[in-house]
Amino acid sequence: MGAAVIRCEDVTKRFGTTEALGGVDLVVEAGDVFGYLGPNGAGKTTTLRLVMGMIRPTSGRVEVFGLDAWRDRSAIHRRVGYISGDVALYDRLTGQDHVDFVGHLQGLGRPPEAGALAERLGLGLRRPARELSRGNRQKLALVLALMTRPELLVLDEPSSGLDPMVQREFHTLLAQHAARGGTVLLSSHVLSEVQRVATRIGVISRGRLVAVERLDDVRAKALHHVEVQFASPVAAGAFETIEGVRDVRIEGALLRCDAPQSSLDPLLKEVSRHEVVDLTCIEAELEETFMAYYTKAAADVA
Amino acid sequence: MLRDVLLKTLRDQRRSYAAWCLSVVLLVAMYVALWPSIRDQPSMQDFLDQMPQALRNLLATSGADMSTPVGYIQVEFLSFMGPILVILYAVLAGSGAVAGEEDRRTLDLLLATPVARSRIVVDKAVAMVLGALGLTTLLGVALLLEGTFVGLDLPAGKVAAAMLHLALLGLVFGALSLLVGAATGRLALSRGVPAFVAVVAYVVNGLGGLVSWLEPFQKLSPFFQYAGHDPLHAGVSWLGVTVAVATVAVLVVGGALAFERRDVAS
Repeated sequence: MGAAVIRCEDVTKRFGTTEALGGVDLVVEAGDVFGYLGPNGAGKTTTLRLVMGMIRPTSGRVEVFGLDAWRDRSAIHRRVGYISGDVALYDRLTGQDHVDFVGHLQGLGRPPEAGALAERLGLGLRRPARELSRGNRQKLALVLALMTRPELLVLDEPSSGLDPMVQREFHTLLAQHAARGGTVLLSSHVLSEVQRVATRIGVISRGRLVAVERLDDVRAKALHHVEVQFASPVAAGAFETIEGVRDVRIEGALLRCDAPQSSLDPLLKEVSRHEVVDLTCIEAELEETFMAYYTKAAADVA
Repeated sequence: MLRDVLLKTLRDQRRSYAAWCLSVVLLVAMYVALWPSIRDQPSMQDFLDQMPQALRNLLATSGADMSTPVGYIQVEFLSFMGPILVILYAVLAGSGAVAGEEDRRTLDLLLATPVARSRIVVDKAVAMVLGALGLTTLLGVALLLEGTFVGLDLPAGKVAAAMLHLALLGLVFGALSLLVGAATGRLALSRGVPAFVAVVAYVVNGLGGLVSWLEPFQKLSPFFQYAGHDPLHAGVSWLGVTVAVATVAVLVVGGALAFERRDVAS
């Protein structure tokens, strides 16, 4: 357990009459790579902007490094690297100009890391930003966020527009950052984008934080597709009542269902009460597990 | 040039500023070139004299004599074209400061750094002030130098005074633009409000001497601080300068405070 780097306590944010975020409690600890997941418009960007002190919570408290995210934003920003969900750069400035400018504003002059970072991501710093492709703009934003070696990275959909090779390099950078004791809060709308790097996952839906899990726990819940061919037709009842088993479908003598690891033993015991002709058991993709689980949690909120 | 927000803002202006300077020089040249033909045409003065008083008040401080260099520049240039030019420059600079960056979304880059929001506003305001002073200085120099070619001789000290007042006139509306932009983040509003206020202030100043119920408001108009005392004849009005400087300062501080407190949503 590390110290809390980000702490949101019962945070609500309204824009006019629209509630963008309602009663969110969230703690991100030092060394965490926290994947913040949810569909577009769920409140991810709102949360990240609250953490960055760009907007003020309507009620509740947002703390970063134990400081108030809104009032003490200048002190906090010395220790944070940020990528906006909507990366915008100065069209006429080159990559190097951006590095110099942001470096000076961060109080570091010309950060020596920038060149090496750009090289790792395969980004040239000589061209003006308006000539850069979407992927290259995203890379430059990454360089600007990482070059000051901040303690905390706040990244809003950072891998959008990056090709898979660069995404891998980006994940390596994040892993190295975490290995140095750094903390990351990154948002995404798909699990597959963060599952390789995240240690913990938070799911937000319609402004509510519906789940926070260690990624290992999500993996332990990994669903298995189970298919059993019996010798004679069976009733669904006995299978449906087994804890954790979901989507039980019976067509005559064929049983199909999904079960997490923990339910496999009682399920098989029930199955073995009948004469079995054939049985398959396949682990589902993590994304699928996650979606099954998360749509249920989101539905509970609604 | 990329050490802080002020220097970066000045650097950003480079190209457009060169265009502004060129247009100032050319515009002055045009007015200067027209001078000999206007001087030799007394009917121009008759035309002016025959205008309704209201129109004359709007176009020029009363009693302007078009057949003298000072009167000509006052009527033709300083009553309308000069103010439009400088106000336009200042309002574009003021609206670009916060609202412009917000509109282009580059504001996030600045807001993620340790630089305080109020510091961003003040740096941008200083850049605007320097720009307006530079532009009016060039304008004054152009009037004096280009005028010598055609015998349009103007008193240097009074021209300097008029240019100071002109710069302050522009800056009042530029600062208003900066305030609106900082407080709302809306680019169109940060241009529209000062434009509207400028038109109202212009009319109030122009008609204040004729319409009795407008008279109390006349002295509030930045145009009154600018030309009410006839700077080409009377030089600097320190009261006018003080009022204008105070207005600019209040607007900029207001903008800085409003920006500190405002949500910058995506």
